[in-house]
Amino acid sequence: MSGRDVKVAPLTTLLPGEKARIVALGHGRGRQRHFRTMGLMEGKMVEMIAMQPARGPLVINVEGTQIAIGLGMARRILIEKIQG
Amino acid sequence: MKRIAMMGCPNVGKSVLFSRLTGVNVISSNYPGTTVDFTKGYTHIGGEKFELIDVPGTYSLEPISKAEEVARTMLQEADIIINVVDATHMERNLYLTLEILGMKKPTIIALNLSDEAKHIGIDIDVRHLEKLLGVPVVPTCAISGEGVKELTLKLRAAKQSEQIKPMTEEERWRKIGDIIRKVQVVHHRHHTIREHIADITVKPATGIPIAVIVIFLIFLFIIRIGNLIIEYLMDPIFYDYYGPWIVGVVNTFYPKGLVHEILIGKSTLESLDFTQSFGLLTTGLYVPFDMVLPFVVTFYLMLSLLEDTGYLPRLAVLVDTGLHKLGLHGSAIVPTILGLGCNVPGALATRIMETEKQRFIAATLMAIAVPCMAQSAMIFGILGKYGMRWILMVYGTLALLYISLGLVLKRIIKGESPELLLEVPPYRKPDPVTLLKKTWTKAYGFLVEAVPFVLLGVFVMNLLYISGVIELLSGLFSPVLTTLLGLPKEAIVALIMGFLRKDIAVGMLLPLGMTPQQLTISCVILSTYFPCVATFVVLLKELGIRDMLKATGLMLIVSLTVGVLMRAILI
Repeated sequence: MSGRDVKVAPLTTLLPGEKARIVALGHGRGRQRHFRTMGLMEGKMVEMIAMQPARGPLVINVEGTQIAIGLGMARRILIEKIQG
Repeated sequence: MKRIAMMGCPNVGKSVLFSRLTGVNVISSNYPGTTVDFTKGYTHIGGEKFELIDVPGTYSLEPISKAEEVARTMLQEADIIINVVDATHMERNLYLTLEILGMKKPTIIALNLSDEAKHIGIDIDVRHLEKLLGVPVVPTCAISGEGVKELTLKLRAAKQSEQIKPMTEEERWRKIGDIIRKVQVVHHRHHTIREHIADITVKPATGIPIAVIVIFLIFLFIIRIGNLIIEYLMDPIFYDYYGPWIVGVVNTFYPKGLVHEILIGKSTLESLDFTQSFGLLTTGLYVPFDMVLPFVVTFYLMLSLLEDTGYLPRLAVLVDTGLHKLGLHGSAIVPTILGLGCNVPGALATRIMETEKQRFIAATLMAIAVPCMAQSAMIFGILGKYGMRWILMVYGTLALLYISLGLVLKRIIKGESPELLLEVPPYRKPDPVTLLKKTWTKAYGFLVEAVPFVLLGVFVMNLLYISGVIELLSGLFSPVLTTLLGLPKEAIVALIMGFLRKDIAVGMLLPLGMTPQQLTISCVILSTYFPCVATFVVLLKELGIRDMLKATGLMLIVSLTVGVLMRAILI
């Protein structure tokens, strides 16, 4: 990790166009399984595509799969932004 | 007879493959969860007849929604499993595959969308995958039909996997990672134009204006083209050929009397009357074929286009915030849009909502405030000549009802309204042949289901008139209709007919000589007071008797209240 600044933050902090790595899915086991079967899992790169206004859902791209996800759900998913 | 179950994740092309194998037309679309009900078909392979079941798409066998419970039961009852895997998303599809293989049923894997996978730079070593999974794997492309023959030839080779044992969730994901590393190579590639378009249509700044334009163009197309078909095709057929012929035939055999009256009403050769004569062979055929069918065709053409391109999920994303205020989420746009075609598939589609609360709200709002295309066509037909503002008033009132009822129901119905979680599939170029086939299937379905009911309705109504029952009922209900709603007491006939078919019910308003105000009120009441019998049966099955009673009570109260309010404002 030398020379790199790794910050863990909620998925919702990602801005459109930014990419990060998923580190934790949060939520209970059932929801986690659902996430994984949609391709949303730890270790994958995620890109923010769009954020709907007025606390609307996010659209993210996880290695080729686009997923629309509610803001509340997305807040509990953690990512690490890799800078530098 | 051996039973084959086709299983796979949502939106991997199971239904298309199913049609390929059985020749049965299944409605498929580029939207996860189109198959909420299972479909059965038969296929002959090597002289043996098999029963084939198209199981609703699921991501895993541990049920999260109703559709997944169905899937599990179907699997246990099948002799052979065809597991359809999306080659472009193999990693996550394999979870279900490993679960299925753990069940120790003879299985064969159809690696579907293989051509698309190659196209976007994914190489899969099929032989190696076969070895690791321990069952046959056949690359297919259901849309073009490639590989389908090989799949049937290899069906007998379907077997239980010895390599895959039942395992825990963590073990399964580890195993998947292991398999993917060994058999799949992904080549780097740049954003394609299609992906750029995809992004533009979900970003709010561009997506919302695009959505407004798309919806406007679709409505314009449905109405314009529908009217053209009526003017240049259906009306000439009815007025120049069919009408004179049928009146001549009936006049020859039954110059007057009861049968004449029931068959063609007051139509004569000099004045063909298709809208008000109320004969079985005049109004009974003119309404479904001339006034409604053209709009049904144009509607389903547009709907198929929306479904097959993959635009619907984008629309779901854009309207999600608004629908949350009504206790729903973005996916509820699907039952609503389907309901605009026919409330029956709309009611079935409420299953894509996760909780009971959401299903109840979605179904109730649809039944009350979403008129089907058949009814809409008739509303355009009878109100059109008084000007656009009356039509807008009907739809404006219904839209207002949808929103205000949703706001109330969200608060008073107990239960949860979870957030949107939806895969947004890539755009696909719709195949014109598939589009036309789908449109034809739905239009044909409309004719088969609507025409008998319309004819039955016209027949029963004739009997009720002749026997004097109508007079009795109009007297009985005149306090409500005349005093409260300001309508002629004869409007009861439309309300009675509305239980059977809404389109012909709207048509029955015509001979009553009502003002545009009264017609507008009647159209709103006809939309809201009760669903047609076909929708009622489906809703009863979907909601259960208690919730259906609740919904019905709501419908009656709402439609009476709105009717009285409109009367106070308009008349």
